[in-house]
Amino acid sequence: MKLLEVVGISKKFGNLAALTDVSIHVDANEIVGLIGPNGSGKSTLLHSICGRTIADGGSVLLNGKELVTTNPMVRAKSGMAIKFQLARIYVEKTVRENLMISLQAKDGMWSLLRSGTSKKFMPRIEELIVEFQLVDYADTEAKYLSHGQQQWLEIAMAMASNPSILLLDEPTAGMSPKERADTAKLIKSASAKCGVLIVEHDLDFIKNLCDRITVLHHGSVAASGTPKEIEDDPKVKEVYLTRV
Amino acid sequence: MKKRTRIGLAIVCAIPILSPLLFMAGNDYLIQAATRIFIYGILVLSVEMCWGQTGIFTFGQAAFFGVGGYFAGFLATHENITDIGLILLVAVAVGILAGTLVALFLFSGKRVGELYVALVTLVISFVCEKLANSWTFVGSGNGIPGIPYPTIFGKTLSSSIGLFFVAFGIFALAMMMCIGIIQSQFGLAINAVRDDEERAEFFGYNRSALQIAIFIFSAVLASVGGALFALSEGFISPSSLGLALSTSTVLWVVLGGKGTFFGPLIALALLESVNVEMRSILPSLWQILIGVMLLLTMIFLPKGLTSLGEKSRNNRKNREQSKKS
Repeated sequence: MKLLEVVGISKKFGNLAALTDVSIHVDANEIVGLIGPNGSGKSTLLHSICGRTIADGGSVLLNGKELVTTNPMVRAKSGMAIKFQLARIYVEKTVRENLMISLQAKDGMWSLLRSGTSKKFMPRIEELIVEFQLVDYADTEAKYLSHGQQQWLEIAMAMASNPSILLLDEPTAGMSPKERADTAKLIKSASAKCGVLIVEHDLDFIKNLCDRITVLHHGSVAASGTPKEIEDDPKVKEVYLTRV
Repeated sequence: MKKRTRIGLAIVCAIPILSPLLFMAGNDYLIQAATRIFIYGILVLSVEMCWGQTGIFTFGQAAFFGVGGYFAGFLATHENITDIGLILLVAVAVGILAGTLVALFLFSGKRVGELYVALVTLVISFVCEKLANSWTFVGSGNGIPGIPYPTIFGKTLSSSIGLFFVAFGIFALAMMMCIGIIQSQFGLAINAVRDDEERAEFFGYNRSALQIAIFIFSAVLASVGGALFALSEGFISPSSLGLALSTSTVLWVVLGGKGTFFGPLIALALLESVNVEMRSILPSLWQILIGVMLLLTMIFLPKGLTSLGEKSRNNRKNREQSKKS
């Protein structure tokens, strides 16, 4: 069974068809890239998957569970996690507190009121701090982190509760080459635990990282296949590669 | 517990220890003023929990305060119920009921903006004041005067020092509850909703439930504060649930610093201490002066008076960070 299955998603904003009958899927431990020129519908598709936008038609199935009309909270509880293009972390809180915010999110209200229950999350927080190279900043407020570290912190927050599927919206935007290489390693290691769907502009970055790539153009799937197939596809060269 | 919280708690604890000295010096007026500050302090805590900690800009918290006060006044004058424990229990029930109604209306659906919440709560406060002013059953413009002294374990609390300690006790309890909530994981959760509601939902938080829970909690605090006010002052009038008190409460929080407990309480204590004197010295100018103070604070210290200390701490941290890098 496919982990994430998006079938026939359509979305209109007024008269503008942002997505028309788009279908993609992600299997467990697979990294799928989603590319396309500006305005091709990448972000709308990602938002329809995560619940920020409700699609007009189609299906979003996670582990076979229909989520297309549900709110983001239900999708998160079903195992979906997202990292936004601009890091949306809690800048006034420390790195540890940010991770705690993510880890405790699915706890009930009474459990949250009992402070003692936070102890169960400590080992996981320490593990994430090491994995995402934030050891020296564990008790630093997130606003003092560099751009790259803030992006890693958000990926760490998304990964904290062991999601089934990780959605990444341009995870390397504004990063240095070294930070991009490190981010690629982090994503690779994340894929050992869950499926990953990446929206990215940079084909060079994802062609070495993804198992499959889907190209969107004018709100429809223009091509789908392995990175090699996509690079060699004349239609893709026409609609996308010449416009980067 | 954070250092700032410890210092604040020490100051709060020192007040009742020092206050009997005023009483012994025969200054009953000061004891009554201090009692009023603690009662308004409960109202400030309720706004701080909503606005400062959860990001719910409640501009009509006086409505819950006044409703609690009217119920207390009604029970004491019409039903001859003067037992303070019973009256406060009723105030809690009234707070839960009123808070639930408003919270469900505001937060059970999609996310609503801060301004929308402020306007709705402001209108509720306005309507409550108008209703109390015109409803003869609750005394119209005169309110409910002649509320008898409350009783505790069958004994009448007729001394100002007795009422002072009751007000302080309830305030201290409310303060401990608020600090307990903020320092629990629940506190981190409501802060997450305050700082980015949508992000919190993407992590799996039930944003709506958290906002409803905090709104009800703060309505209960305000209602209990109102009941205490009616019992200690001996009257309750429409102004206790109207715009003036709602605005004053927001003013105390803005001046002291939203997001902290002690800043707004200090602002309340300072302004209330000089309020009566200044009104008699500068009857027409005092309100204008308060308005100017508010404007200056919002322009130069948008995080309130307590941000003065925070600014120097941030500068120090910035220096440390730049040294590190």
